[in-house]
Amino acid sequence: MQFFFEVLIGGLLSGIMYSLVALGFVLIFKASGVLNFAQGAMVYFAALSLVGCMEKGAPLWLAFILALVVMTLLGIATERFLLRKLVNQTPISLFMATIGLSFFVEGLAPMLWGNQVRSLDIGLVDEPIAWILDQYNIVVSTFDLFAAGMALLLVGGLALFFQYTRVGRALRAVADDHQAALSIGIPLQHIWALVWGVAGFVALVAGMLWGSRNGVQFALTFTALKALPVLILGGFTSVPGAIVGGLIIGSTEKLAEIYIPPVLQDIFGGNFGGIENWFPYVLALLFLLVRPEGLFGERHIDRV
Amino acid sequence: MAAAPAASVMDAATPDTFPRLLLQHARLRGDAPAMREKDLGIWQGWTWAQVADEVAAMASGLAELGFRRGDRLAIVGDNRPRLYWAMCAAQILGGVPVPLYQDAVAQEMVFVLHDAEIRIAIVEDQEQVDKLLEVRGQCPALQHILYDDPRGLRHYTQSFLHGLDEVLAMGRIHNENQPDFIAGEIARGSPDDVSIMLYTSGTTGKPKGVCQTHRAFIAAARGGMQVDHLAADGNILSYLPMAWVGDHLFSYAQAMVAGFTVNCPESGETVLIDMREIGPSYYFAPPRVFENLLTQVMIRMEDAGRIKRSMFHFFMAVARRCGAEILDGKPVAATDRLLYWLGNLLVFGPLRNVLGMSRIRVAYTAGAAIGPDLFKFYRSIGVNLKQFYGQTETCAAVCLQPDSQIKFDSVGPPMPEVDVKIAQSGEILVRGPMLLKEYYKRPDATAESIDAEGYFHTGDAGFFDADGHLKIIDRAKDVGKLAGGAMFAPNYLENKLKFFPHIKEAVCFGHDRDMVCAFINIDMGAVGNWAERRGIPYAGYTDLAGKPEVYGLIQECIEEVNAALAADAMVADTQIHRFLVLHKELDPDDDELTRTRKVRRGFVAEKYAVLVDALYSGKPSQFIETLVRFEDGRTGKVGADLAIRDLKVFPAVRDAA
Amino acid sequence: MRQIGDVILDLRNISLAFGGVKALTDISFDVREHEIRAIIGPNGAGKSSMLNVINGVYRPQHGEIIFRGEHRHGMNTHMAAASGIARTFQNIALFKGMSVLDNLMAGRNLKMKCNFIQHALWWGPARREELAHRARVEEVIDFLEIEHIRKTPVGRLPYGLQKRVELARALAAEPEILLLDEPMAGMNVEEKQDMCRFILDVNDQLGTTIVLIEHDMGVVMDISDRVVVLDYGRKIGDGVPDDVKNNPEVIAAYLGTQH
Repeated sequence: MQFFFEVLIGGLLSGIMYSLVALGFVLIFKASGVLNFAQGAMVYFAALSLVGCMEKGAPLWLAFILALVVMTLLGIATERFLLRKLVNQTPISLFMATIGLSFFVEGLAPMLWGNQVRSLDIGLVDEPIAWILDQYNIVVSTFDLFAAGMALLLVGGLALFFQYTRVGRALRAVADDHQAALSIGIPLQHIWALVWGVAGFVALVAGMLWGSRNGVQFALTFTALKALPVLILGGFTSVPGAIVGGLIIGSTEKLAEIYIPPVLQDIFGGNFGGIENWFPYVLALLFLLVRPEGLFGERHIDRV
Repeated sequence: MAAAPAASVMDAATPDTFPRLLLQHARLRGDAPAMREKDLGIWQGWTWAQVADEVAAMASGLAELGFRRGDRLAIVGDNRPRLYWAMCAAQILGGVPVPLYQDAVAQEMVFVLHDAEIRIAIVEDQEQVDKLLEVRGQCPALQHILYDDPRGLRHYTQSFLHGLDEVLAMGRIHNENQPDFIAGEIARGSPDDVSIMLYTSGTTGKPKGVCQTHRAFIAAARGGMQVDHLAADGNILSYLPMAWVGDHLFSYAQAMVAGFTVNCPESGETVLIDMREIGPSYYFAPPRVFENLLTQVMIRMEDAGRIKRSMFHFFMAVARRCGAEILDGKPVAATDRLLYWLGNLLVFGPLRNVLGMSRIRVAYTAGAAIGPDLFKFYRSIGVNLKQFYGQTETCAAVCLQPDSQIKFDSVGPPMPEVDVKIAQSGEILVRGPMLLKEYYKRPDATAESIDAEGYFHTGDAGFFDADGHLKIIDRAKDVGKLAGGAMFAPNYLENKLKFFPHIKEAVCFGHDRDMVCAFINIDMGAVGNWAERRGIPYAGYTDLAGKPEVYGLIQECIEEVNAALAADAMVADTQIHRFLVLHKELDPDDDELTRTRKVRRGFVAEKYAVLVDALYSGKPSQFIETLVRFEDGRTGKVGADLAIRDLKVFPAVRDAA
Repeated sequence: MRQIGDVILDLRNISLAFGGVKALTDISFDVREHEIRAIIGPNGAGKSSMLNVINGVYRPQHGEIIFRGEHRHGMNTHMAAASGIARTFQNIALFKGMSVLDNLMAGRNLKMKCNFIQHALWWGPARREELAHRARVEEVIDFLEIEHIRKTPVGRLPYGLQKRVELARALAAEPEILLLDEPMAGMNVEEKQDMCRFILDVNDQLGTTIVLIEHDMGVVMDISDRVVVLDYGRKIGDGVPDDVKNNPEVIAAYLGTQH
């Protein structure tokens, strides 16, 4: 039982990390109806910028702010040179544009900061919390806990921001209906630039946490792929959905990794490792069949 | 203090008119909230001191406009604080407020405006002003119209139209010049002055103005407070018409006597939302409203996820088993108590919250019979729902169910100081301080309804059960006698039948006959659903109504009623012996129902005389063909061979008699 | 009584074409302050195009728009909204997933001054601003009698109410000119009456100048001060309802006489 909980908690905490990436997708999808394929690249770019600034001698906080500035600029540039040209185009054109953007950013990042794998030290150690280990004999990593706390803070803040502020409201309005938003004088350009800036911020936090755990390398762009099942589970438009989806994916993939292979081995013989690599996608696929709008997504009903 | 012993005695005495009550609250709890109204999305509040001040200004303003002692003041509008204050303002001046139903059309108002010789009317808004302007030509006595909400009235230039703000300002100046005026006027009032005139809806003949005194309404209010321990810390949401006696009792008389807070909803459509926000401790609604609420809950539960739904059904079963008993403080098994506690946490609590009933200490219903399932539902989820009995002429205060003595089919024992007697004919007679003084300008009607001993004839028939609780069975004029001499109350039986969801209408026969027989109309929705679930195919109403399975279903329902009737000596003889299910739905378009969907028994008996004869002649079936009118005005014929079934009848339990 | 004032919006020689198709040909008319000005015409007469020109959705190829003395060749929607022109759409353009209250608050977006950071921190001035705007929005809610649906997502409301909410959102911006694109289309008689009453109330009590498009002649004649009649992108009549009604060209257009 203890082992089960250890796996579960470990899974939940790493799930939160998926949520962080998924969150970036949700923000942009909500505001512009675009699935931003470049989110993974942005995570990579953000982490590289952070490391790059630190290598130049900046302390962590300064490097964070500088990286944030870089990401914001990237967001504004994206709006100015990409999205603005594509207003009123079909979602698929926009989607293709973000694929292009993704290649561009993936190329730009190493050009600016170099392409070697680097480690990122944000002053957190990845070791068990002593008193939980003593008390319950369960291993919970300080790092994971911190990452989870960070993610929850971010999500809570964003949810409040969306619900209760003028900009949040304008953002929801834009997400709901571009034309209507324009007609009442909501400046689409500002809102999009803002969303991309906020998505950049989220990417930075995700990049910082993922980077310091796995090293800052090109593989960070693949985190985006892990976010997809999270989105399918949670719904593309829901901030809480991203969190819950992340938790489900994180915990089930770890539990599946531990508990399914022995069963399969008993039946078929042979070796069944690496389940966690494909399990989330299977789960997402099943979910698509049952509830295509996701757990928290808005069910789309067209009036006839 | 000792210098004026007489004054302090006066002080200590319980105030005996509404203006004096208001003064007392302003003095004793001046800062406590007296009234709230949701305006522009925000709850605005007034303390008792502020209310007293507003009322004084309004009274003087009215006096300036020429309102005199004995005058009547028409009040028309939704529940608005200033309209309630207008009542008190009129009473200060020794006048009589006359609230009118705000949804009446202009022509319907003419009678009351005429009858009560209204010179001044206070109305809510443009809509009501327009109505009064429309009929002003027919009411020459009407001199001034005052309005609360100026919206849309900017261009109305008539000199007899005044905004209440203007009148209040006038009154304030008046009060500055004559600071003793209000106190003097209040001192001149007597508890035996008429405090309000409420017009009875008048199902037969013209409406009559029921004159009630301060003494009567204060007595009625005190009676209810005594039974239900109401105090100043309560809250009530006032959303029923101000012209209705119940609202006057709860929102005005009791609020004035007990000193609790009256909350006015934002509009008729927002009542549910407002209720959730206020969380009243005290609530009244007619059975229909409780039923609608329950239906909404049920629909939402059917739409909910499977887990939520099964949790709901599981705990509702627990509630049905022990909820009402727990509310009544009766002994309940420990496991049930634990389950109920859990259910309260997970289901009943959230449910009460959604209904806006989480802080309810007592809720009332009256005006029509309430189904036992409906009644029990609310009690079982912890809402202390009760029934009471009364009418405009008795300040709505004759009987009230005390805590822990709740029965589903009675209205409780008489309230304190109320004397209830059953006449030979079965009619309920009532005497007490809350009785009307008279019908306005109708000495004939007054003499007719109050007898020499001072009893008011309610026109309802009923009897006391073994515990001394009054059971209302019917309108007295509808009650007949079986050939054997037993009392026959068709409405009572029909209501019992109609509480079954499968029975839509029922018509019982039995007057001057040796047994009771019934026509049944099935509820197309409920029975259709039932049939579909059992895979019984049917082609339409007539076909469905004739199915033997449906007959079986209805038979079970009626036999259940028979069993219940057998338990009560007074009505045991009126068990239903034979029935048939009609081949068509009774319809107002065919004159079989009134527009308010009451059965026109005489007409039905005549129209379907062959069927009635068949019921009493013991035939197993009877053919009938009927002309029906369709919605588009065409007519057609519906014919069917109707089966007639005998029912099981139970021996009467004659213990109490 | 409301006083009809000076010309507030003057359209001169407006021509608009899409490719080779002429939508509007040399149309001129003006709108006076506080009046209700109707644009009528059979389907395809160019009514909506006209509204879209005023509102800045389309830029006319020729002509001039003079709004409060400022000459413009054309404007964009944002400029129009910012200078006090609000509108509703024939096919309701509300934010369906948001509550009525949020829709109305969004309608006041332009009136809000505090910046993004202040709002993000829910900081003093931003909070006070939010409350002040909420108060104004509540007045609109009261005015149009939609208290009971304040918190309801717009998408769940019936059509007639959505139309009213859209009017409310336009009003929330406290516009000087309100453009209504077929405000009564698709409504039943009772809803139409309500809508008429609200339009008259808005005009009368808030003093808002109203330009409306309608093809229901009866309604228009009842509530407007002056009427412009378009047919095939040309102006064929302009004046008070009674004059327009008796204009032979208008009668011909409505009776479908061949041109």
